[in-house]
Amino acid sequence: MQRSLISAHAATPSILRRYVFTTDHKVIGVQYFFLSLAAVLVGSFLSLLMRIQLVWPKVRIPFRGELKPEDYLALLTMHGTLMVFFVLSTVPQNGFGSYFLPLQLGASETSFPRLNMAGFWITLVSFFVLISAFFVPGGASLAGWTQYAPLSALAAAGPGQGMGTDLWLVSIGLFCLGSVMSAVNFIATTLRKRAPGMRLMRMPLTCWAWFVTAILILLAFSLLFVAAVMLLGDRHAGTSFFIPGGLIVSGRPVDHSGGSPLLWQHLFWFFGHPEVYIAVLPAMGVTSHLLSVFARKPVFGYRAMVGASIAIGALGFMVWGHHMFVSGMNPAAGFAFSTLTTAIAVPSAVKTFNWLGTIYGGRIRFATPMLFSAGFVSLFITGGLTGPLLAQPALDAYVHDTYFVVAHFHLIMAMAGLFAVFAATYFWFPKMFGRMMNERLGALHFWITLLGAYATFMPMHLLGLAGHPRRYSALTGVQYVAAMAPLQKFITVAAIITISGQIVFLVNLFWSLRKGPAADANPWHCTTLEWTLPSPTPAAGFGGREPVVTGSAYEYGDHGAVEDFVMQDAAPKTGASAL
Amino acid sequence: MSITSERVDVKHKPKLGGGGPGKIPYRRGYGGGGDDGDHGRPEDFFSSGQRLRRGRIGIAAGIVCVTALFIGLTVVYVARLGTPHWDEALHREVYGWKPLALPYGLLWVNSTLLVLSSVALELARRSMLEKSEFATMGIRPPRLKLDPPWLAITVVLGFGFLAGQLWVWNGFRSQGLFLRGNPSSSLFYLITGLHAAHLAGGLIVLLYTACGSWLRMRFESQRIAVEITSWYWHFVGVLWFGIFALLHFAKG
Repeated sequence: MQRSLISAHAATPSILRRYVFTTDHKVIGVQYFFLSLAAVLVGSFLSLLMRIQLVWPKVRIPFRGELKPEDYLALLTMHGTLMVFFVLSTVPQNGFGSYFLPLQLGASETSFPRLNMAGFWITLVSFFVLISAFFVPGGASLAGWTQYAPLSALAAAGPGQGMGTDLWLVSIGLFCLGSVMSAVNFIATTLRKRAPGMRLMRMPLTCWAWFVTAILILLAFSLLFVAAVMLLGDRHAGTSFFIPGGLIVSGRPVDHSGGSPLLWQHLFWFFGHPEVYIAVLPAMGVTSHLLSVFARKPVFGYRAMVGASIAIGALGFMVWGHHMFVSGMNPAAGFAFSTLTTAIAVPSAVKTFNWLGTIYGGRIRFATPMLFSAGFVSLFITGGLTGPLLAQPALDAYVHDTYFVVAHFHLIMAMAGLFAVFAATYFWFPKMFGRMMNERLGALHFWITLLGAYATFMPMHLLGLAGHPRRYSALTGVQYVAAMAPLQKFITVAAIITISGQIVFLVNLFWSLRKGPAADANPWHCTTLEWTLPSPTPAAGFGGREPVVTGSAYEYGDHGAVEDFVMQDAAPKTGASAL
Repeated sequence: MSITSERVDVKHKPKLGGGGPGKIPYRRGYGGGGDDGDHGRPEDFFSSGQRLRRGRIGIAAGIVCVTALFIGLTVVYVARLGTPHWDEALHREVYGWKPLALPYGLLWVNSTLLVLSSVALELARRSMLEKSEFATMGIRPPRLKLDPPWLAITVVLGFGFLAGQLWVWNGFRSQGLFLRGNPSSSLFYLITGLHAAHLAGGLIVLLYTACGSWLRMRFESQRIAVEITSWYWHFVGVLWFGIFALLHFAKG
């Protein structure tokens, strides 16, 4: 009686409450997804402007005119910040994680729905605060996404160093808060909301990745928060944490003394290096998951994969110094950082080996998500191989401030991370929106992006080895750089083509949202729990039903049944036939 | 089987409660997620035990985060204390650290207030635990003969600590020690200030919970809030003694 009364009068909340101010983890996941989409569009546009300024400095940009050298630095800062924070730390973790972590664990809701919602709204405010820096006097900050002091600490140091840098710091402080809230929610959800039978070692590797990443966020972002507070203190409260004595800016001596610019670098990179893994661990999780699904084989070395994720996370906190080899460092410390950094190659190699082991001998289905996952492995290897090179202080001293480093981190962090995001988008789109994306356009998008990514970033290795410094819009009076102009032009053209190619993705995304063929509940024949629900996921999730998990997440292959996979909540085989 | 979001209609909502603990008032919440039965929302399938356990994990994660923050600050403090910096004018390395004369009397009073508040919170927790059995049966718990408002006492003591810290900062100000100036005073204000901010966060939650009956909070929610916040509160207390020890032993 009571029940029928409830369902008969199921009040539908207003559109605003369902899709905007909602505590529904699914809607929050989609909100994060579109926030990151906006950020990636702005960020890519900024990188295009940078590439254009590098090779055609006289070109007039509409509404802006010719770009000045300091504009290049502002573009560089905002491109890096948007991409690192609002794309790579947002969509793989909070976007897909918010949506699919509870569902894959068999829960209809996260542990702290309101905390989840608060996290998103704070992140959104943080995004707008960052973007608003373009519209204040002086424009955006010039100090790069790393905001090295004392440039970032002194308002007189450049046009964007006043209001623009304050907005940057406030934005990142807010971002820290939002991320930590979300991470607390992820940890509690993973530990408490698993369905009966979902033991930790039965979780999909995506869930493991989100869980480990949440722990990294807790430990890393708190340090960045402190650093941002201290830098704001230096800028406005007269403290001297990061400002050394004896500085003269614009002919005027600076009224600070005794601070240490190195301290900022330590604090920043103690956050900054784990940040790399915050971006790439969820991407690794998605890749492990998808390679298994599309090779129709269990993940090779599941336990090793879990161990490698944890090892990468733990080692990630011990290697921040490799970003500071050229900042002046005790050789013993340099040796320690170098050794530990090289050690990360071990769990990374375990992962790569297991990915190859997963697809080896599989009946591979080359759907778009599989293409992008394979692309991730390719880019991860290419970008990763230069990692141990850069971990050597002697080599790093030569290439650190060159395009070599740009090539390294764009391939391994930016491109590999983005490929995993694309793979996840094509893969989960049917579950999120109830429609399939176009496979033909997906394949076209993949090939444009893969070839474009390599065409853009591989030549940068050569630029770097030839000694081309990064972070400058133009180098005047330097002869040897002129010889590299054709290569720079090639990179710019490749970047324009690659970014234009993303229109294929946008068309596919928005066309499929409205017109794509309807997806059935389990179009990819997966085993995990989110695919037991209809597509798109109903608002109530499992709707009070609690799935009971009976098997691992990767039961693919011939089981003597009609299908080549066993759902995680399938009823266990009865009798002795299993023997 | 249609899966729809189960939501109680406003008009058909049975009128429950008559004031006091156990009251279930109605308030429009936000759509989508669970709301633990506060504000008149259906309670989903969360038992109070589940809510307590997930809250404890959440607060433990938060404590890990705050610990990382203060470990970072401690490292900064010790590093700054031990490293000389290059003085451009003198052309040599100098140790610019001026040791602070801590107002020990006042700091010990503050520490005592914090310890007492922790004790009071523990007593509040125990008394609420005793009453919760009545509340789950929907009975107003009998008023015991001696039942001091421990939660309110905790809040008052917490505010006492904050006031004491203000007193300490004011004392430094009158000595001419400001946030700007020597690194020892900059770091002192930074560390004690961030600690006070974190303590204030816990204090706001306790204050909200103490006013819970007027804010139409269910007794069970109040109890869980106290249980969870008590972990945080004791942590902030221990943290204070860590900071006190740091300031005392690493004076420079």
